[in-house]
Amino acid sequence: MRKPAAVLFAFSATLLVTGCEYVRLLRPSVLRQLNPRVVRLVNELPEVDQPNEKMVARLFAHGGLGRAHQDADGVFRARVRVPSGQYIWEPAIIVMRHGGELELDFSNHDPFAYHAALLPSNGSREILMLPAHKRGTARMKLDGPGYYFFGCPVANHAGRGMLGLIIVSGDSPETAKLDRPKQKRPQRVEPVDVRRTE
Amino acid sequence: MIRRIAILLLLSACRTYPDYPVTERSQSMPELNARMRGTAPAVNVTAERIRAARTEPDNWMTYYGAYDGQRFSALDEINTGNVSRLRPAWQFQFAPIGVIPNPATYSFEAAPIVVDGVMYVSGWDGYVWCLDAATGELLWQYQHAIPLDTPMCCGNVNRGVAVANGRVFYATQNGYLVALDATTGKPVWQTGYADVRAGESATMAPLVVKNLVIAGASGGEYGVRGHLDAFDMATGARVWRRYTIPGPGEPGHETWTGDSWERGGGTTWITGTYDPELDLVYWGTGNPGPLFDDGPRKGANLYTNCVLALDPDDGSIRWHYQFTPDDVWDYDGVNENILFEEGGRKLLAHFDRNGYLYILDRTNGALVRVTQFGNSVTWGEVDSTGKVTSRLRPTREGTVICPGPAGAKEWPHAAYSPRTGLLYAPVIDACATFRLVPQPFREGMFYLAGDADVRPHPQSGAVKAIDPATGRQVWEWKGESPMVASMLATAGDLVFTGEPSGHFNAWHARTGELLWRFQTGNGIHSNPVTYRVNGKQYIAVPTGWGGWVEGFAPEMLGAPRGTALVVFALP
Repeated sequence: MRKPAAVLFAFSATLLVTGCEYVRLLRPSVLRQLNPRVVRLVNELPEVDQPNEKMVARLFAHGGLGRAHQDADGVFRARVRVPSGQYIWEPAIIVMRHGGELELDFSNHDPFAYHAALLPSNGSREILMLPAHKRGTARMKLDGPGYYFFGCPVANHAGRGMLGLIIVSGDSPETAKLDRPKQKRPQRVEPVDVRRTE
Repeated sequence: MIRRIAILLLLSACRTYPDYPVTERSQSMPELNARMRGTAPAVNVTAERIRAARTEPDNWMTYYGAYDGQRFSALDEINTGNVSRLRPAWQFQFAPIGVIPNPATYSFEAAPIVVDGVMYVSGWDGYVWCLDAATGELLWQYQHAIPLDTPMCCGNVNRGVAVANGRVFYATQNGYLVALDATTGKPVWQTGYADVRAGESATMAPLVVKNLVIAGASGGEYGVRGHLDAFDMATGARVWRRYTIPGPGEPGHETWTGDSWERGGGTTWITGTYDPELDLVYWGTGNPGPLFDDGPRKGANLYTNCVLALDPDDGSIRWHYQFTPDDVWDYDGVNENILFEEGGRKLLAHFDRNGYLYILDRTNGALVRVTQFGNSVTWGEVDSTGKVTSRLRPTREGTVICPGPAGAKEWPHAAYSPRTGLLYAPVIDACATFRLVPQPFREGMFYLAGDADVRPHPQSGAVKAIDPATGRQVWEWKGESPMVASMLATAGDLVFTGEPSGHFNAWHARTGELLWRFQTGNGIHSNPVTYRVNGKQYIAVPTGWGGWVEGFAPEMLGAPRGTALVVFALP
């Protein structure tokens, strides 16, 4: 295969299997956020991502973001995996379009550690034990809007990277809204003046 | 090289994991507490029984103990003669788990409710616990999941629940009123009533009146439009909402300039009191927005910093009294309105943050008497007719003004003893440097337009006993730190409250002599209560330092943090 063709093939295949997330990178709203500090963060990740070297520098968002999809029964569902030897959730951020029931399906692919998930839910926090090479589910009720913490309560796995967020998008319930004209909200993306803050 | 990159790219996109069968299921925290019983004895609280709470001193049936807000108990087993022998009977402790909103400021502020030997108490981060009031055994627990980004004003706190008709009602920090089954702790209904996207949250204990649960909201720092809501106790359906800031065409709207009413504040974050005979609910309202700059809102700004006398059936305002018009000092008027009688007259006592004690005729809102109770009051003056003259205001350079933004008395409640005829108030003595920093409004962001820094100024406090008939101080006990816990008065002629140091104290109600103290180990910023089970009197005080400490006692910002409900009894 000629080189340009191979590159094109690889690029197209990647787009196919990742649901065009790379194309979505090109939206103006995303590009506006790629200020030098964010780009530096992405560039630095391979370096900080070395167990026993700079693991302390990990970010809890490091496992990336995934969307929970709503099934016909109204329940939002998503898979979360614990990869081997990294102390991360993959994804570490799970987004629900609005409040409701969420079922997370966890699997632990890490032979180095026994993990668990401590999860938010109306009624009580839920705990899901995740021995190595085991899989389990947790069902939660979240009203939102807002973001909720989850993490691994074993040893200090949370502090080493196994912190996650469940983001419930949307607005407050209609019964809560204030009777007043629509008010100005903060800009979603604040322009960053790098020179001033460096 | 390019081929290698292409293959790597492809591999990274296609990373797959082996699949395992689902063998694990999550469990709730209570399921993993093998010693928790899971159910509580049924208690039969009706609105009629709450109305007659004064006749049942064994119980602390509603937030203030009774509708009158006196925080007085007729129990006298523990009295001036034996209080020195008071000892801990049991403790209940609970710590935050995981990452919670405002982990630096959570505080245990509640007033436990006790009915027929069963205690219901709420905490930070959406918790409600049901306990055996004689032994401290945990019977059930509920936790509402609270988002990390809930726009709390100050602390991750909750001040208590209401119990009626087999249900426990409470407001979650993220603005839902929740009804739980009182025997199992399982949710029955929930209704969202505070808009977190607009900067609202909820911290107060709801009030049950007739068939309604009345609940106020927080958010005065975010330029919300304050309101009070009433819900059908059985279904959670809203029966009425009363905005505290009048819209166009409503009386009082003329006290706002332009569209400033839309962001007027006037929140309702402290529980009201109720006179069943007059059928009036008395509810305080908070500061206007923005806090420190009246530039955008010239005028008296009704109904901020008021007591509103409301018809509980429809929320209509029968009368109002405004304590601090055109406020630029954060002097919320939310403090309790204590209902008492003087020479057959139906009166109301209100210690305002602005440093003055108001005695009003509660039938019509007429001012009977106003006297200064705060030690340092320099913001302005209220004369004997109630006329307000403001003298010092925030400036761009900063102006020292007294009292500070928490006022001469913060939300922790005063008490009234019908035996001594005296009011007992926890007092803050602190000033602040008030600065003006004009700002635009953005929904969901702080709308302060300045700040008030207490740190450079000395801070202390006091417990003051005041005769409401004259406004005269009968005795004073000076505390090392600002006093920021509610008073409890009993028929044993004792008054109790806690200190930021963790000391829980009892004074002689008539002389102010300190008769007993116990170091609980943690600062107290809560509502102590008393009750009796099987003929034995108990005193319960939630301890757990936190909340808006930089506002009322920044010298104690580094004090130990913890949470325990400590319950005392005679041996």
